[in-house]
Amino acid sequence: MGEFGIIAQVLVNGILFGTMYGIAAIGLSLIYGTMRIIFFAQGAIIVFFAYICYWFFALLGLDPYLSLILIIPISLLLGMGFYFGLFKEAAALEDKNISLLIAIGLMWLVENFMAVVWSGDPRTVVTAYTSWVLRPGGLNISFTRLMALLIALLSSVGVFVFLKRTLIGTAVRAASEDMESTTLMGINPNWVNAVTFAIGIGLAGTAGVGLATVYSFDPTYGFTFVIMSVIALAFGGMGNVFGALLGGIILGVLQGLGAYFVSPTWADAICFGAFLLVLMFRPQGLFGKKE
Amino acid sequence: MANQLLEVKGIDVFYGDAQALWDVSIHVEEGAIIALVGANGAGKSTLLKAISGLIHARKGEILLSGKSLSNLNPREIVDRGVIHVPEGRRLFSTLTVLENLKLGAYVPRARSMFAESLERVFSLFPALNTRIDQKAGSLSGGEQQMLAIGRGIMAQPKLLMLDEPSLGLSPILVKTMFELISALNEQKTTILLVEQNIRQALKIAHQAYVLKTGEIAMSGRGDELLANEEIRKAYIGERVSKR
Repeated sequence: MGEFGIIAQVLVNGILFGTMYGIAAIGLSLIYGTMRIIFFAQGAIIVFFAYICYWFFALLGLDPYLSLILIIPISLLLGMGFYFGLFKEAAALEDKNISLLIAIGLMWLVENFMAVVWSGDPRTVVTAYTSWVLRPGGLNISFTRLMALLIALLSSVGVFVFLKRTLIGTAVRAASEDMESTTLMGINPNWVNAVTFAIGIGLAGTAGVGLATVYSFDPTYGFTFVIMSVIALAFGGMGNVFGALLGGIILGVLQGLGAYFVSPTWADAICFGAFLLVLMFRPQGLFGKKE
Repeated sequence: MANQLLEVKGIDVFYGDAQALWDVSIHVEEGAIIALVGANGAGKSTLLKAISGLIHARKGEILLSGKSLSNLNPREIVDRGVIHVPEGRRLFSTLTVLENLKLGAYVPRARSMFAESLERVFSLFPALNTRIDQKAGSLSGGEQQMLAIGRGIMAQPKLLMLDEPSLGLSPILVKTMFELISALNEQKTTILLVEQNIRQALKIAHQAYVLKTGEIAMSGRGDELLANEEIRKAYIGERVSKR
């Protein structure tokens, strides 16, 4: 494979992995919209669902992709549960730092829970198709990565359609603009917040399956993941489903190119540098319009 | 005496430790336009927020057709037909005109009457009909105010509370706006109107209350207050004497 081929491969890998950051970022963007906090637990919850997928596979022999049928409803319900159990009281407060602290506490709780239940050893889900590789035009595209991309795209489209086509989705968009004004329409802020959490955690569920089938993971992996998703969010700009997805893809590509042209150890530093530059010069995101 | 739609009985309202309303009582007769006037910071918007349940009164009672609203949340109050169109319009600017109107009819009671309400809004504000797919933020100031009121109408209001509907509009649009409010009232919608444009408000109001630093300073028929020397001096000033 020539130089060009390798770069094309790096780009493809970046895109494939970046969509994972992208769906995590969509969840962050939605929760930020109504709750006004960065939901730091998102990464840990993605890893949690990777473990659930692993368990379904290891204990019940359930195919990871088939397990989505269970994981999606479980994650949606868990999202609702998190809101009503942990955030409902804090959401009504003026001071959003309380909600932020709860999110950070939840992250630690989930991380430690996973360490206790599944130990700190990395896990992988190895199926018959884990090693399948497609070779279009000399590129190597692993089947599971392609599936992860497909899952990410389908969930983004799903969320987009939900936000655009349903009344409660419209209410969620309205609430991210002006919660008090939605309250005056007779829309219950708790219901809007709970639905937003359900979707955010639902996305974490699908991302967890994508993660489990592609990478080995351990309980602490989520923190790195959520930081990367925050960067993706900053690239894409708040409040834009496809912006967040695209932000994730850009980040994935940047990380891949950094690793290839500089060194893998520098790749993350380059991403953080780009993050700061974007926040400094384009705080509305790469695609957003200036306020 | 006609039916009392809304009765506010001696409410005290606080923001934290700061008292904003002191023993405020008002009566809104069914089918009337009631104006609430006074200087900036007199507590007019606070009173509307207390009625719509955004803040709770620490003392006193608020009754709608004799039933207490005091322990209800904003959703339940909207469901009973008390609709608050807030100051500054508070439209969802990234949503389309139609989406804004749909959310106006969110509560089940209003949702079932969506088509009728929409027709009523378009007959009152034909300009909105041609812009249903446009983002609310792209409308002109006058159109935005119409959309804000239209969104309120979508909720099938028994009592429509309008906070500063003429704010930021050109003099011609201000006139149109007051005509529209009268037209709306003729269609049997009871209106509680908060206005800085005191002269216009008193002209169309059947009854008016003057709020001063959180207390009711005066009340009476609109035309009575309009003729009142004190009101003219304090709130209307030169503009009336030149008339």
